Amino acid sequence: MEYEISLATTMAISVLFALSLNLITGFCGQISLGHAAFLGVGAYTSGMLAKAGVPFLLTLPAAMLLASALGVIVGFASLRVRADFLAITTMGVGFLFVGVVRQQDALGAEMGISAIPDAGMSKFAFMLFAVLAAAAVALLSVYVRGCWMGRVFGAIAEDEDTVRVLGIDVPRFKLTAFALGTALAGLAGALYAQQLKFIAPDSFGFIESITVLSMVVVGGIGSVVGVTVSAAVLSVLPSWFQVIGDYKLLVYGGLLFLMMRFSPGGMAALVARIFHPDRWGTK
Amino acid sequence: MLYVELIAQGLIQGSIYALIALGLTLVYGLLRILHVAHAAFFTLGGYVGVVVANQTGSLAAAIVAAMIVAGLGGIVVFRLCYQPILHQPPFVPLIASIGLYIAAEELFRIVFGPSGLTYKYAFLQGEVELLGFLRFKTGELVVVFGSAAIIGVLSLLQTRTRIGVACQATVSDPQMAESFGISLSRVGDINFFVGSALAAFAGVMVSVLNNMVEPTMGSVPSYKALAIIVLGGLGSVRGTLVAALVLGVVESFGTIYLGHFLDRNAIAFAFLILVLMWRPQGLFARS
Amino acid sequence: MSALLAVSAVTVQFDGVTALKDVSFAVPQGELLGLIGPNGAGKTTMLRVITGVVRQTAGRVELDGRPLDGLPTHIRIRRGLALSQQIVRPFREMSVIDNVALAAGLDKTASPLKALFHRQRARELDTGRGLLARLGIEQHADESPQIQPMGTLKRLELARALALSPRLLLLDEPLAGLNSKEARLLADTITEINRGGTTIILIEHNLGEVMRVCKRLVVLDNGEKIAEGEPQAVMNNAVVRAAYLGSGAASQEGERHAAA
Repeated sequence: MEYEISLATTMAISVLFALSLNLITGFCGQISLGHAAFLGVGAYTSGMLAKAGVPFLLTLPAAMLLASALGVIVGFASLRVRADFLAITTMGVGFLFVGVVRQQDALGAEMGISAIPDAGMSKFAFMLFAVLAAAAVALLSVYVRGCWMGRVFGAIAEDEDTVRVLGIDVPRFKLTAFALGTALAGLAGALYAQQLKFIAPDSFGFIESITVLSMVVVGGIGSVVGVTVSAAVLSVLPSWFQVIGDYKLLVYGGLLFLMMRFSPGGMAALVARIFHPDRWGTK
Repeated sequence: MLYVELIAQGLIQGSIYALIALGLTLVYGLLRILHVAHAAFFTLGGYVGVVVANQTGSLAAAIVAAMIVAGLGGIVVFRLCYQPILHQPPFVPLIASIGLYIAAEELFRIVFGPSGLTYKYAFLQGEVELLGFLRFKTGELVVVFGSAAIIGVLSLLQTRTRIGVACQATVSDPQMAESFGISLSRVGDINFFVGSALAAFAGVMVSVLNNMVEPTMGSVPSYKALAIIVLGGLGSVRGTLVAALVLGVVESFGTIYLGHFLDRNAIAFAFLILVLMWRPQGLFARS
Repeated sequence: MSALLAVSAVTVQFDGVTALKDVSFAVPQGELLGLIGPNGAGKTTMLRVITGVVRQTAGRVELDGRPLDGLPTHIRIRRGLALSQQIVRPFREMSVIDNVALAAGLDKTASPLKALFHRQRARELDTGRGLLARLGIEQHADESPQIQPMGTLKRLELARALALSPRLLLLDEPLAGLNSKEARLLADTITEINRGGTTIILIEHNLGEVMRVCKRLVVLDNGEKIAEGEPQAVMNNAVVRAAYLGSGAASQEGERHAAA
């Protein structure tokens, strides 16, 4: 039972994390190859505060705020540079985060932080907490997509110059997407630190950023259900199949490539194609 | 004295970056794709090099074999992986490429083992003294002068041969070039062959210098090369070469003066981000 | 009549090339002004200066006597401008009606916070359907723009601009790419919109339709204003004729339209 509880917790945190990237990349079309840095900011903030004696629940807002503040800074970069330049800039932010943390003795340098104090919840209660958090973020995502903000995000993702001509303040909407998405990544990071009780810089590197991107892409960029399912499945697949555990990166890499090569819209598009082949057909 | 040494070390590292980044630029200029999987050919070059060198005892044979194998591999990747998704939005080939690279790295690990291979013979390990105080490994000099020679020959070929001119024409205006009967696929083959072969040469030289070939040896150069072509203004060959050398030097100084605060990779990307905030189109934007 | 838009001595230089040189004109409330000139005359650059996409090197642009200079595009739109672009750019992932409704939701997209707390869009859909009907493309409302012919897309572009309820509508070659029957119909629609009280600046190469619908023309050539006034008088102007005749195939086509 212990094992299943821990798997479910991992799943919930991954879903939360993937949905946070989906807000930025899926909804608003701003590619990020360094999203794990925000997971890291949340994890380190929560972990350090907890070690300083702050109760776990109070570390959550701090983790979200700090991640979001950094997210807005990166968001400002997205106003300066676009598309391919943005992809590489966000990748750079990821490397910068790991590179800085690695050299800070106060943050445990290479060794990271261990023995993060317990939240005082049972394993089961913590799992429930994580699942509820993920569910709340999924609902939030569905809400955002259905409200005017989601419509504007969708339009920005497609053609931001035209959105400007419709009288919409594109920079503020982009910054909002970054602020929201990175705050939620910070929340995921705090949960991650609390679940493992141990964090190190390498857990927030490029591979982690790509892993979460692959969850979003495989699920279907922008699709809340697709991303939720793919994050849940991809996060526990390695532990279920020991074979995949060994070849985890081969599977991730291969899936990413094959999805893009044969179904750029991800699973969501595959499913849609099977069930609604004529959604956009002529009258 | 220290400065001269740092600059020299920076230029050596910069030449290696230039060899890798050149292929990326060729691909970007032609197809507008950030070809992350390019670094797989750097690693592939290392492996072919070490295997051939250990079999034959000849470094020259190793280099030639590595360049040919990687070059042909480049063509296969172009035809099978990129050509079918060229019409998709730019993130599609980018993510496909990242996936391809991660999978390739794992394949190297599965095929050749995680711990890496070493050379049976010591190639180019002698030391040379210049100006009385600069000491280099022979291999380091081979890297610098080899890169300069290869790049020089290539730029000559590009302006003096029909195929070179065709490539240039295609990069500046693909539709116009096609209407003159230049095949985009053919030019793509050439760019991928040349770019991948250069990466493989860099792979052999780096593995000789470190006497080690590992599955992950391509990852850091891969990301750095991306930073370099972005710094250079995406698609500008001259910009890429300058950016590669500049980054090499910035890193070698940064490691000494900022090393306690940032690691080497972070220095490269901090530099990249600073430059981009100042000039969003890179140092040498194409006009 | 007071001028709704006043352009005063606008000069634009890119890398040493002068795209517009000391151009001034005014558009009174309620006018349908034709802005014409051979290819490369600087017409589209003028629109870009007005919408704020291009920043002028010198000169002023005022809307209702308030300067627009230095304001970002979206604020100018909120002050009452709307642009129908030369190359149609519908959001292809949205249906036709969703494209128009997005523009109609101007008050709900004013800030991210407002956008987050508004879900309803019945009113915007109504506005959108009304506009599509007015432009005669309501039967395509729920389809994707990807399957529409150019004529429908041009009308969609116009409907989306109208959804902003502009006081000044900027039309950049709305008739380009349409056959003569479609062009005539759309030009009539534009006249109707103008009669409804919307001031319009029309950039168009189809001189026949321009002569038919515009009451006044401003002619640009090589970045300079070379003529202004009644359409017939302007077209009889020797300088204007020389500018058109001297500039190659595109203008000859214009002449053909003018003669037709």
